[in-house]
Amino acid sequence: MPHTLELIWHLIKRDFHLRHAGSALGILWSILVPLAQLGVLTFTFGSLIRVDIPNYPAFVYSALLPWTWFSSSLSGASHLFFTHRDLLRRPAFPPGTLIIVNTLVHLLIFFLSLPLLFILMAWQERVAIWNPFTFLLLLLIQGMLTVGLSFMISTLNAFYRDIAQLVSIVLSFMFFLTPIFYRPVIESEYRTLLSLNPMVPLINAYRALLFEGTNPEWGPLMVTGGISTLVCGLGYLIYKHWLPDVVDAI
Amino acid sequence: MPVAVAVENVSKRFRLHRNSPMTIRESVYQWLAGQHEKASSFWALQDVSFSVEHGQVFGIIGHNGAGKSTLLRLLCGLGRPTTGRIVHSGQVSGILDLTSGFHGDLTGRQNITTVGILNGLTKRELKEREQSVISFAEMEEFIDQPVRTYSSGMYLRLAFAAAIEFDPAVLVLDEVLAVGDERFQKKSLDRIATFRKAGKTLIVTSHSAEQIQALCDEVLVLEEGRSVMQGDPQNAISYYHDLMRQRTDKRIAQLRERTEVTPVTMPQGSRQGTQEATISAVRLCDNSMSPTNIIQSGDGLTIEFDVQMTSPLKDMACTVGIFNMTQAKCVEFGIPSFQTSFGSLSECQTIRCTITSLQLHAGSYHINLGLYPTDWSYRYDFHWQMHPLQVEGSHDIHGVYTTGILAVESRWNSVQNALEHPSNGV
Repeated sequence: MPHTLELIWHLIKRDFHLRHAGSALGILWSILVPLAQLGVLTFTFGSLIRVDIPNYPAFVYSALLPWTWFSSSLSGASHLFFTHRDLLRRPAFPPGTLIIVNTLVHLLIFFLSLPLLFILMAWQERVAIWNPFTFLLLLLIQGMLTVGLSFMISTLNAFYRDIAQLVSIVLSFMFFLTPIFYRPVIESEYRTLLSLNPMVPLINAYRALLFEGTNPEWGPLMVTGGISTLVCGLGYLIYKHWLPDVVDAI
Repeated sequence: MPVAVAVENVSKRFRLHRNSPMTIRESVYQWLAGQHEKASSFWALQDVSFSVEHGQVFGIIGHNGAGKSTLLRLLCGLGRPTTGRIVHSGQVSGILDLTSGFHGDLTGRQNITTVGILNGLTKRELKEREQSVISFAEMEEFIDQPVRTYSSGMYLRLAFAAAIEFDPAVLVLDEVLAVGDERFQKKSLDRIATFRKAGKTLIVTSHSAEQIQALCDEVLVLEEGRSVMQGDPQNAISYYHDLMRQRTDKRIAQLRERTEVTPVTMPQGSRQGTQEATISAVRLCDNSMSPTNIIQSGDGLTIEFDVQMTSPLKDMACTVGIFNMTQAKCVEFGIPSFQTSFGSLSECQTIRCTITSLQLHAGSYHINLGLYPTDWSYRYDFHWQMHPLQVEGSHDIHGVYTTGILAVESRWNSVQNALEHPSNGV
């Protein structure tokens, strides 16, 4: 176990290195990209089409950061086995480690951006008092969901390269169907459809915790927690079952 | 002795369509066409069993496509046997293919750190071993450069050094020993000897029968995915050569069905081959290019032979060897590709091989010549003991009585020393 942790830590550092090798701003890019997205959203919905939400930048950022963790982990997952072919050629390397590492790398990027959120809140004279245990619980639920889906995506993409394309389409749909830059939709004829998106309760919970400073709605969150556990287990089973063929296909 | 690796009735089937990535559309088409179950597959390995003990050097030989690489990949735990199982005790490490063991965008140092951690080393052990890897690979200057800038020789040296210095219990090397310059090969072989003395297990494949013979305790011969022979290197290698003869015979039979190939009878020696290309005449010439089969020891020799193609071939390979009466190979030259060495092939051409000074002792020799397809899998034509060569000379070379295979000059001196060395005050 300590050895596995050491391996994961080494691979996280390796991933950061590969990600930023040769770029002048290096790790800053990880923070700048969601920040630029925040700029676009704030300009569009804060100034062009006025959405009447006070402290709009912080409102968006508190949801955008966990969303970015989710979406960049999943889009990174598709090509994971191809970009790390050198490791898959090594005896005694469990390829699933790459999925854990990928999810953790994007979690670290999320953490790196958090201070900016707090600065943004303080600037708008809001201080979020949040409960670290609830925060950890949210991370755990989202982490399991991400890892489970990544297991499925990475495994299937080894056989069908279409998966990578599908994932990016689904992610861009989900971006608009998740209340990231708007308030949660409560009254709508599409309510049932929207509630199929497991990211909705999570994003709402993050916003409640980080932006409003209140407790999340526990009901929907627990349902998402259950779904995440199932997805995680199912993803692992798919991965376990197809792994030997993945090695042949890569 | 305890068993390091046990392979029990292992078979491996590959689905051919998996070799190229398929899109969902393609697989839907295939499914609609009802070919889903019939997707073509082939058995890369069939019912292979063997076990390797600790401290053994185990060799695997076989022709291209015989299943060597598939077997090694399974031994490393990459992929799962379709049937049967592989049990190993202890850490397995290996170099499976030279093109993808390292990440090109990372430096050599970063890459070997990854290998070390994967081999289960702690931070401190890693720091200690890293230097020995770098110095063994002779990479001090380039270790902090990205691996993609390395030459293939540098890449190999580093891969080999990292594989062996990080001390796995079982090391698997695929065809790797054949690469690298001669000096590094020698160094690697020495390192393998120490590795083996430490009770570690090595599993190797090589195209070079000589290397396998020199290195291995036991050899497995693979032919078309099956284990056809397992035994001591000497026997296994001669079996392997017999397989080549059999394959040639099989192909002759196939060709006979289509065209009439007249077997050539020769006054002496023997000849075997499919006759798709033939050696129609062989001439031995001395320094002044006059035909002869008697030369003086140390003189030049030119072996000239005519090659005729009876069927269109894109490329071929040849060997010319000089063997003594006890069938010991004194020297053999191999041209792996006519195209590379001589340019395009014509239907009839004369090849000339000139040895400037043949330093062999007086005696009777034979010139053996062979023509092969470029993968060396069978013979187009092979002349065995058909062309005798007589070398004349004396065992007295400038007053030195010289015996053996080589008739080389030696210079002798004697330095007169005082009986007792004056001590230097030490």
